[in-house]
This record gives sequence, C-alpha cells and structure tokens, in this order.
Amino acid sequence: MSENIYLPRMATIQSMRPETIDVTTFRVTIDGSDGAGKFEYKSGQFAEVSLLGVGEAPIAISSSPTRPEAIEFSIRRVGELTTGLHELEPMDEIGIRGPFGNFFPLEEMEGQNLLIVGGGIGLSPLRSVIFNVLDNRGKYGKIDIIYGARSPQDLTFTSEYKEWQEVDNVRLHLTVDRGDEEWKGNVGLVPTFLKEINPSPENTTSITCGPPIMIKFVIEALRELGFSSEHIITTLERRMKCGVGKCGRCNIGSKHVCLDGPVFTLKQLEEIPSD
Amino acid sequence: MASQTKSRIIEKNKLTELLDKLAQDYHLIAPVQGNNVSFRRVESGSEVTLDYINTVLSSKGAFLPQTETLFRFFRDDSRGFRIETVNDADREQVVFGIRACDARSLRLMDMVFDGQYKDSCYLNRREKTTLIGLACFDHAETCFCPTFGIDPTSGEDVDILFSDIGDRYLVEASTEKGADLLNRFSEFFTELRGDEEQLREARKAGLEGMKKLDVSNIADKMAPLYGSDYWDSIGMKCLGCGICTYVCPTCHCFDIADVSVDEGGERFRCWDSCMFPEFTLMASGENPRADRKARVQQRFFDKLKYFHDRYGELACVGCGRCIRYCPVNIDITQIIEDVTSGKAGNE
Repeated sequence: MSENIYLPRMATIQSMRPETIDVTTFRVTIDGSDGAGKFEYKSGQFAEVSLLGVGEAPIAISSSPTRPEAIEFSIRRVGELTTGLHELEPMDEIGIRGPFGNFFPLEEMEGQNLLIVGGGIGLSPLRSVIFNVLDNRGKYGKIDIIYGARSPQDLTFTSEYKEWQEVDNVRLHLTVDRGDEEWKGNVGLVPTFLKEINPSPENTTSITCGPPIMIKFVIEALRELGFSSEHIITTLERRMKCGVGKCGRCNIGSKHVCLDGPVFTLKQLEEIPSD
Repeated sequence: MASQTKSRIIEKNKLTELLDKLAQDYHLIAPVQGNNVSFRRVESGSEVTLDYINTVLSSKGAFLPQTETLFRFFRDDSRGFRIETVNDADREQVVFGIRACDARSLRLMDMVFDGQYKDSCYLNRREKTTLIGLACFDHAETCFCPTFGIDPTSGEDVDILFSDIGDRYLVEASTEKGADLLNRFSEFFTELRGDEEQLREARKAGLEGMKKLDVSNIADKMAPLYGSDYWDSIGMKCLGCGICTYVCPTCHCFDIADVSVDEGGERFRCWDSCMFPEFTLMASGENPRADRKARVQQRFFDKLKYFHDRYGELACVGCGRCIRYCPVNIDITQIIEDVTSGKAGNE
C-alpha cells in the first residue's frame, strides 16, 4: 500500500543561528543525504516540522532551492513546539514532512522588477525568494526590498544584508517601529515607509509577507501606488495540521491554504471570502 | 460472475449465525445496543441489534477512528529517533447494518482522503472493508436523505444490501467484493421464493412523508450570504459543543498530536471540530475564526458550498443526526429552507 503521508523524514540540525532574541535559523540536512536530498522545494513552500513527542507545525522554508547544501527554517519562539525546537542543539534530530503548498511564481516574474515587502519574521519565506533571485540575477530587473521590524533588535537576517546589497541594482530599505540611540535608519511602519519610497508599479510584481495587519495595510498602500491585484502577491499563515488538505482547518472559503496556497495573488483573494 | 451476483434470501433465524461466522473471519463492525445504538466491533452475532432507525454515531469511525496512532517513535542511543509504523489498517473488515445515508457519506469522504495526497490509513481500511447495507423502510422525523438524491432502500453505495421483508431478508450483492462474500457463506443463503419484490414494495409505505428539500443551486445561493447577519442569529444560539460535527457522517476534520513518555511515544490523530475556537487558533494568537458566528458560518458554508466547490457534491447526506442531537435545535433543514427561500438574506 501507499506510503503513510503523516510519516516525517528525519533531518539533523547542522547549525542554529540566532537572528534575534526569539528567532533562530535552523540549518538542517535530511538524514541519509548530504543536504536537501530528495526534499525538492520551491521558494514559498512550507514544511511540517516535528519535534517528536511535542508536535508538529507548518513552518516556511527560508532557504533557497538554488543552495541545496541544506534546508533552513527561521523560527520564532512563540508556542510549545517552537519553544521545544529552540531548546535543541546542533546534531539533534527533527522531523520534516513536505514540501507542501504552492510557491511564488518566480518563473512568471522573469524580466520584471521585484518589490519585496516584509515585516518581522515574515521576511523568512521572502529570504528564500531573495537568495533565489540573487542566484538568478540576470533574469530579473531592479530588486527593492523593504523590510521592517518592531525595533532594531527584531530585524532578522542582519548578517546577510551586506551580501544582498552588494549585488547590482538591489536596494534594501530598512525601517523600525521604534528606534534607539544607535539606529540611524528610518523609523516608521512598513506601509507608511512603502508609500514614502514610492516604487513604480511599472513592470513590477510585489511580494509581501508579515503580520496580518501589516499585510492588510501594505496591500492598501500598493493599490494606492497603482499596483494591479494580479501583481500583488502575498503568503498566508494558517493553522495547518496535515498540510495535505485533509484535516479541514486552514480553508479560506473553498481554498485550502495548505494546498491552494499559501501563496495567493490579491486577485485570487478578492474572489474568496475574507475570513 | 452473473449467477454469483443474483439476489438471494436469508431466513431471519439464520442471521445471528451468519454474523457469528463473519465475526470469526473478519473484523466485524455492527450496530450494538448500549446507552444508545452505535457501531462497534463485535465478536458474536448475539451482540448485534437491528432495532434502530439510525445509529447515534455513523460508521465513519470504522474508517477514521476517533483516535488513531499514526506511528510510534523511540529515542535511540544517540540524539535521534527510530520510527515504527502501525499497520492495523490491513485487516479485512465487514461493516454490517449501514444505512444508505452513511454509505453515501463514505463516498464523500473518499474524495477528501484520496486525491493528490493519499491518506493510506483511511484508504486501506476502505479497500479492506466490505459494506453490508440495511435498507430503510421507516424514517425518523429528522431524516431528509432524498434531498441529496439518496434512495434509503437502495444499495448504491454498499457491496451487499439486506432488505427486511418480514420473515426473511432479501440479499443483493452490487459489487464483486459483495458477491465474493456471499459465495463464501453460500450455505446461509437460499433461492428467492418469488414474492420478495412485492414484499419490498409494500414495505416502502413506511417512507412516505419523508422530507425532501430543494437544494438545486444552493451553493450559488449561499455565496452572497457570506458575512450576513443571518449567521449572527445562528451563532447566538450555538453553544459550541461540537456534537453536530461528531455525529455527522461527512465531517472528517481531525487534529494531530503527540503523546510522549521518557523513551518514546506516539503521534496520533483524533476527531476535531470546526466548532471549537482552538481549531484555527495559531501560536501567534491570531485566530481567523475567533467568534461563533464565523464558526457556524464555516460549518454551513462547508456543507452547502465549499465542499461542492472542491468536489462537486454537497457535504450532507440528510441523516438528520445534527438536528436530533443539537442541544439548542439548530436545524440544517431550516437553514437550507431559509437559504433557498431568500429568508436568510433578509434578516
């Protein structure tokens, strides 16, 4: 009979890099392989990550398939499972099921400019896109990354900003809700900052991820800036237990976020009820 | 094969003995009288009752158990785990006494558990199970299966149909699996006497007056009602107890969780309910369906629209259980009537 779809593959933690006080990037390799192994994913997909004995939760993949040496998950310590994961150490084993869900339409976006708008831990799936497009730099036009967090200490992936900005025609715009003595950058909410930067919608697709309230106002701002609903792409978070459309809790209207999402264009979202 | 699938009869006094034999050779699940009549595993025919219009719980637990171990795990010497799968879905099973509504519900659940990702736990049980239906010749006030094109006297969704025609049961196999089982126990079955069809027709009088609602285009009629105040009025009544979802034969939602002891544990799944706030609550504290209005709206939209959008069928079989067991009399037939008559939109 067919394989049990609830059985995780075991993976070993190679390193744990703290990003902020409560976010850590877990770098894992699938057991029996020297990296991502047969875990073939695309930017925007998620996995069900397990700590056996504690549970399982859907987590965005923050690494890019263009770098198959390992799979990375950037996880905020917020619930029981994520707290358990944060207490692990390198060489501990976790379970992984997936990859699940759809992905960002990076092939369709070739030849276009990209506007990436993230907030807080929402940068995690966008980081997969960032490395993916940087590794395929010739295929895309101008890349603008607008990213904000509550405070300078809550900015994730700070050690990578230099690498991103060194690439031609890539600009990173940072903002924080509340600055401190050392912060020299912008202070303000992401949607406001976005409007100030005033990116052109011409030949540009925007991808946004962050807290639901931020996404809502970013979408409003993008519309004001003239982006069409086909060119506003977001990725949604839901409680997804099975990841495969069976357990029945992640639906928005007749769409299952785990199967039909998590990536949606605004046009698609406008056609379904707004739970 | 043709001669093997023809109709037979079994004398009523031989039924217990047949069930004894089935219980010996198969994992037999049949209606049992306890505090109420429900499907249980039985070891002998004498445990089985046929005195019910319908069981309190449907037979869905024979395919999607209330709790089910998905796998076990053990900590190994290093820092890893060893995983062991569980294979109780491989035993041959017979479900006896299933009504046409519940049989149809399995066809609906198949659509969920099959597909791009195959749920082998459920599908193995379906494949290893022979369904023996029991035709209805009586109905409860809450029954409305004809609404969904179900004939309660038919064996459309079972392997074998038993029809009680007085002193004997008419026995008809409608699949190869059913015919095989009848052949295997052929000593219990005899030739028709000739009056069976006439007796069956006469018994159908008990089904007169059964509720049949018009659900044509109901999915389209639901669409504009999303967010309507109508759902506030339903949500105000709802206690959020979840009984509707537990007794519903088409509700299939489940949770997955771990139990752990020092050296290992297991991951299991268990029935869950969209009526509970935790169902959609995320660790961040966000809850897309935080109030009761949103939850009852979800339940009825899933039954009457979303499932239809995904799979082309409405997710209700008219068994009436949710009406009968709801402590505050929320009645899906009333909701269907309010939606189709336009009353739901005008509140």
